[in-house]
Amino acid sequence: MSVRVQLPPLLRGLMQGERWLEAEGNSIGAMLADLGKRNPSLALHIFDEQGAIRHNIAFIHGDEIVRAKQAAAHPLKPGDEIVMTTALAGG
Amino acid sequence: MAVSLVVGTPKGAAVLQSKDGKTWSEDFVLRGWPVTASVRDDKGRTYAAVNSPNFGVALFASDNLKDWKQLESAPRYRPEDRGNPEHHRLVAKFDFEGKLKDGGRFVDQIWTLHNARGALYAGVSEAGLFVSKDRGESWEPIDGFNEMPGRAEWQPGFGGLGAHTILTDAKNPNRMWAGVSAAGFFRTDDGGKNWTRKDKDVHGFGGNCVHHVAHDPDDANVLFRQEHFGVYRSDDGGDNWRVLEDGLPVTDMSDGHRCSFGFAMAMDRKAKAVFAVPLDGDAQRFPRDGQLAVYRNADGKRWEPLTKGLPGNCFAGVLRGAMSADQQSGVYFATTSGALYASGNLGESWNEIATGLPRVMSVDAYVQ
Repeated sequence: MSVRVQLPPLLRGLMQGERWLEAEGNSIGAMLADLGKRNPSLALHIFDEQGAIRHNIAFIHGDEIVRAKQAAAHPLKPGDEIVMTTALAGG
Repeated sequence: MAVSLVVGTPKGAAVLQSKDGKTWSEDFVLRGWPVTASVRDDKGRTYAAVNSPNFGVALFASDNLKDWKQLESAPRYRPEDRGNPEHHRLVAKFDFEGKLKDGGRFVDQIWTLHNARGALYAGVSEAGLFVSKDRGESWEPIDGFNEMPGRAEWQPGFGGLGAHTILTDAKNPNRMWAGVSAAGFFRTDDGGKNWTRKDKDVHGFGGNCVHHVAHDPDDANVLFRQEHFGVYRSDDGGDNWRVLEDGLPVTDMSDGHRCSFGFAMAMDRKAKAVFAVPLDGDAQRFPRDGQLAVYRNADGKRWEPLTKGLPGNCFAGVLRGAMSADQQSGVYFATTSGALYASGNLGESWNEIATGLPRVMSVDAYVQ
């Protein structure tokens, strides 16, 4: 099942400037696993040493903001669009 | 003789290039990535380490300093590796979701990259060493160092528990040194399996806060060490150390010890000249009275100040990785206020060759 994910600007540079990528998965966790499998250089930035989604990454799914800790199991439907972003920090 | 400088900052890397040492071109690459270290391998490929607070640690490689490609592998601890509680305490403010409470060990920065005998070495925080024998395509932990008995008691420096200095011996492939803030300075004589702390007679409390160490790999047992508490020299590979501060500005430190303070240290191997940038104690951490000065030790005994071309109103610091010698009489360093200085004559005179850079974390010089 295919969904689309928008990369944050810093990571687009690793994908020749591509803003949107397609991936398979019925949850954000499954989608990221597929994305990382296809793009190992992206996987380094998405998953930490223990295989968890880096804690400063957040996702926007429709009107919902999904933090890293809840993201793995967050369900997706075919055709969904996810925005990958970072939790706001700073002032 | 063409020289290239890779200057690491929290917002990317400045790349300065000169054919004559007088006029410099400037580019700014890896924009948005904090660049913490760089190294060039024997075949001329340059590697830059990045650490994003959001996206972790990675390495980029370039054959021309313009086009950079991220490597698909980077130093990483194993999922089962356990972290140092004190390092966790120091970096916990970034731990928004309590990840560190699980006790894992994470690479949060590559502090130094080192090239020797066809291999790349990385020194990281949380303190550890990694090696790549395939030009960065894969990385292996040096377990003899990373699992050293006693590491649970290591105390981090202000910047974290970081392995920031790696030195190798060109004549002895089994010998290697690593400096860790603030655990101490370590040496292996069996290719990395066993490590011994080499801090005899170096002032500290508990661990030793080594800031940087310079040497000539071809004369490897002569070591020059910038410690939190003073500058030292060893002539026997670190077994014994003696204070080497004649000519350096000294001041009262936080614990009452009177000594020199600084971070950066570099060496020109041909001239056997060592360079340091003293800061006025661990309370102020900027050059005394604002006079930016590089100190040179050319006879192994006495330091002399070199200020020609350097400003008298500098209230910034120079970090441990932010000075480099090109081994052709060129010396380069940059400040935390983003000014980059070059000397083509072993420090006799200096020119500001870039300004307006972000806080400079690393300066590495490469001769074509």
